[in-house]
Amino acid sequence: MYTQFLGNYLLQKGLVSQEQLFNAMSRLSQTHIKLGTIAIHEGLMTAREVDECLYVQTREDKRFGEIAINRGYLTDEQVNELLSKQTPDYILLGQNLVEDGVFSYEQLERILFDYKNDTEIYDLSLDVENQDTINAIISKFFQLAEMPVDEINVMYLELMFNSLIRFVGEDFSPLTPMVLEEYPVTFGVSQCISSEKEYITHIDCDRETAIAFASRYAKEDFLEFDEYVMAALEDFLNLHNGLFIVNVSNTYSKNISLAPPEIKMDGVIYGENKCVDFPVAYPFGTIHLIICY
Amino acid sequence: MDITGKKILVCDDSVLARKQLMDAVKEIATGATFIEGKNGAEAVELYKNDKPDLVFMDIVMPEKDGTTALSEIRDYDDNATIIIVSSVGTQDLLKKAIQLGAKDFIQKPFEKNQIKEIIELRLGGK
Repeated sequence: MYTQFLGNYLLQKGLVSQEQLFNAMSRLSQTHIKLGTIAIHEGLMTAREVDECLYVQTREDKRFGEIAINRGYLTDEQVNELLSKQTPDYILLGQNLVEDGVFSYEQLERILFDYKNDTEIYDLSLDVENQDTINAIISKFFQLAEMPVDEINVMYLELMFNSLIRFVGEDFSPLTPMVLEEYPVTFGVSQCISSEKEYITHIDCDRETAIAFASRYAKEDFLEFDEYVMAALEDFLNLHNGLFIVNVSNTYSKNISLAPPEIKMDGVIYGENKCVDFPVAYPFGTIHLIICY
Repeated sequence: MDITGKKILVCDDSVLARKQLMDAVKEIATGATFIEGKNGAEAVELYKNDKPDLVFMDIVMPEKDGTTALSEIRDYDDNATIIIVSSVGTQDLLKKAIQLGAKDFIQKPFEKNQIKEIIELRLGGK
């Protein structure tokens, strides 16, 4: 999930455009980490040293590792160790952006340093994502949304990001949440979750985005906005909310229930208090996750 | 898998889930008769009319939910073979479904292999 958060950070800071971000994200699964990138990440080489070795590589027919060893930047053992390391996807995202010329290795080094500071990612190995860090990043979304930062809220949004990764695709970036009095529906599906309070959850998007979203979710090629597309969005929200209430009832032994999902083609949705829009940008369009409470 | 003469009932309120489940059973179980319903009330009615050998049914459905339909079908036929296919899998709900006589539970989104294994096990085709 660090990759999606890094995407959000880059967009927020104006360091990339959405197009540049999605271009780089779409190649994640086919990209292999380069020795130079991981050496910077592990703090064994500076970006300047990596750039120097890359320059030498264009003039000498040698491997990057060999050049770095010859120049005394890395030892044999360090090269072998780096080659066997697993690297988190967000570093790959940075590498892709460097390859696309969006920024240099030196800029990437600075950006990742700032990103880790901002998000309080202290664990440099990062082979496994740290739950406390994920919680801290998600809590910031709730602070921006002026919503209470409690365990159940954090669980809901984390699960939503995981459901998107699992059922729709990892190439998305969460955008900055917005607080609203009410939300005007474009097209969407609503579902009410009831415990001590009632929450209306809703996913909303335009029809073209709905077709692309449904195609990915159902693993079918939908060409037009029809009942299957609408049902796919219903199923996604129902599945996600279903997983949520299972987690809540198993973890907290709380009584929590789910009403059947409802399709909404127009009108506005609102809650007793307010609505928060958590937009999520995919290359095919933006999905708005709305929570009214 | 040839299971000529057998009947399979698929019941889900989601048109997409129903289509995907139907596509899967039709591909796996050749020669069978397929019936579909879109809520718990239809499931009970279709069961009584057609006496299917195997039922795949969702839990959260309008008009009559899956557990009520399950209980009514089992009251009517003690030997009914009903498989719950649902995204909502709270332990309480699962316990209730098993107590009411569900034979198995498949979590959505399902894998075609899970459906195949159930059909092989329950209808004996290989």
